[in-house]
Amino acid sequence: MYQYTDFDRDFVRNRARQFRDQLGRYLGGTLSSDDFGHMRRQNGWYVQRHAPMARIAVPYGVLGSDQLRVLAKIARDYDRGYGHFTTRTNIQFNWIPLERSADVMDELAEVAMHGIQTCGNCIRNITADAFAGVAPDEIADPRPFCEIMRQWSSLHPEFAALPRKFKIAVNGSLEDRAATAWYDVGLQLLRNDAGELGFQVRAGGGMGRTPIIGTIVREFLPWPQLLAYLEAILRVYNEYGRRDNIWKARIKVLVKALGPKFALDVEEEFAAILANDGDGVAPLITQAELDRVSSFFGSPEGVRDESAAAPLLDVPPAFQRWAERNVRGHRLAGHCAVTLSLKRAGQAPGDVTDLQMEAAADLADRYSAGELRVTHQQNLVLPWVREADLHALWLEARAASFATPNIGLLTDMICCPGGDVCSLANARSIPVSAHIAERFEDLDELHDIGDIALNISGCINSCGHHHSGHIGVLGVDKDGEEWYQITLGGSDGAAGNGPAVPGRVLGPAFRDSEVPDVIETLIDTYLGQRSSSAERFIDTFKRVGVDPFKQAANGARRAVAEPAVAA
Amino acid sequence: MSPPALQFLTAADDPFPVVAAEQAILPAADLLLGWQQWLEVRAQWPDGLRVGVAFPNDLAVGALVPDLPRLARIALQFPKWTDGRAYSQGRLLRTRHRFGGELRAIGDVIPDMAAQLYRTGFDAVVLRAGESIDVANRMLRLIPAFYQADAHQRVPHFARDNASAAST
Repeated sequence: MYQYTDFDRDFVRNRARQFRDQLGRYLGGTLSSDDFGHMRRQNGWYVQRHAPMARIAVPYGVLGSDQLRVLAKIARDYDRGYGHFTTRTNIQFNWIPLERSADVMDELAEVAMHGIQTCGNCIRNITADAFAGVAPDEIADPRPFCEIMRQWSSLHPEFAALPRKFKIAVNGSLEDRAATAWYDVGLQLLRNDAGELGFQVRAGGGMGRTPIIGTIVREFLPWPQLLAYLEAILRVYNEYGRRDNIWKARIKVLVKALGPKFALDVEEEFAAILANDGDGVAPLITQAELDRVSSFFGSPEGVRDESAAAPLLDVPPAFQRWAERNVRGHRLAGHCAVTLSLKRAGQAPGDVTDLQMEAAADLADRYSAGELRVTHQQNLVLPWVREADLHALWLEARAASFATPNIGLLTDMICCPGGDVCSLANARSIPVSAHIAERFEDLDELHDIGDIALNISGCINSCGHHHSGHIGVLGVDKDGEEWYQITLGGSDGAAGNGPAVPGRVLGPAFRDSEVPDVIETLIDTYLGQRSSSAERFIDTFKRVGVDPFKQAANGARRAVAEPAVAA
Repeated sequence: MSPPALQFLTAADDPFPVVAAEQAILPAADLLLGWQQWLEVRAQWPDGLRVGVAFPNDLAVGALVPDLPRLARIALQFPKWTDGRAYSQGRLLRTRHRFGGELRAIGDVIPDMAAQLYRTGFDAVVLRAGESIDVANRMLRLIPAFYQADAHQRVPHFARDNASAAST
């Protein structure tokens, strides 16, 4: 993974010093709460129900074991002993007093971490395929480009006060595992007919109140021009994005409003940047810089092709099941990528305690060259595991609570923190996920149901990506009560899910007590309708349409509502 | 590179406030006119008498380009400090259009914007009433080096330093 240079280290430390200065002025009464609010947000401090939430960037999801240990220390020393991994591959803490925030920044800076631009109207942490650099279907590794963009976007002087937040995702494989169509800018690495490497560029995707799939604005952008092209997009957005209405301020609204003119405006600005802005030197990424950054992203020392491990004899069925769900293929022979499930009974999806963080760091050191990944489905991945070590890893992962064999299954839910801690939320999401998890704790049943994406958001800001779930659950407020709108048929764009699309709303919202029944009846409907056990939920839905599901869900609505009325 | 320098002023001692909208415009040195005022007088404005114009933040700076040689200063506006349109305007005027006069930030401008203002080409800053010039100077220099090219540093960090130095 990328190693900070002295320049990078100084940069992050100086940013922490700047934050300490601002915090001091705020606490001393010379900086207003409103002004300081904007400053702390661009350092990752977002005031929530109980305390400021600290959102720490895990750049493009790549995390070192030393970094994870410091996150564990922060959880223990400053928080209440746990953190929460998010769909944007950040980690959030919820209980750190603002007075101690600058100390946390200093601790993070020592392990090349920060919360720079994780909140606020700026370019946010860039996300990528969690299996970047190890996936067998990879066209090119997105991580070097992500790191180059991380540096370019960090305290970019022109884009510190955009109309609204701005999120970039990058995918380098045939399968889109980074949900790129859902992003303000989605980048897909590809090669043109001449074999040159570049990007297909989408702009204007986004979830929220108006879910929109990004528009392809450039079919092929040669990689050296990436930053210049992004600058053109950001400049057009900074100048013309709406600032009069927060709900209309994302770039997706501008892209829709301008139509084809948006891409033309960007191209015009891009041409002007290349022609005029570099003092005679076009502002391109150089081969030397790509080589320098890429040199950090090869295989770790000592990791190379190995002959496949001899098949294990007499492995328990539980191991077999885990290997089927939680282990993926690798570009190196004799290796695999292992997902550590953060979806297990008794803990909220994506939550990890300090001790679990340390246990995961130990597993990474022992089995994965000290490296982990954070997935946008809120799990951790060990990317460099030898097949020969799989059984030993499984035993240890199981002891450390990470081996629930449910990756891609119903209980591998995406879920935002919701109304328990988030002040934006209309409803709680964690209790909903817990009730569903309890209802579907039987592993045989789960495996029989098969692949399904259940995504839960506590409000329309869509941190739980409900729009892209096969089943989406959205918390809404009705006269001060928590209700839940259900959508069906959404896709993040990954292979098998079909092209990215928002789910369709299944009629009026449901009461919180109805939601587990509704989910169960949707699953029962699928099981009754599927053509065979090989037909997945999403495929059955596409084949039979929404009506049988709607009918079944409405049945659950009445069944639950009547006793409530009688009482 | 020399350390960054920005002239900070408070609204109270700003020598060039924007001429009031209703005021009659007589050609004189060192006036700072509103954009509409300038459009009304620009055809009759004497050659060689340099003038300042306060340009709105919701128009493209291309409209200013034909007049740049006649302008001593351009004031760009921050109606709220969290509205960053004028950063792009400043950057374009300096880098693309090679404006050589003074670029002045006016409006809801606070000390913590200092580095961004400097890096997008501003050289004078009228702080919001009540703000501290000392804090502004400290904020300007607190982070001494950045990744990107900007109005002063025309090549990004990677092309200056990484190209020659091995990473440590």
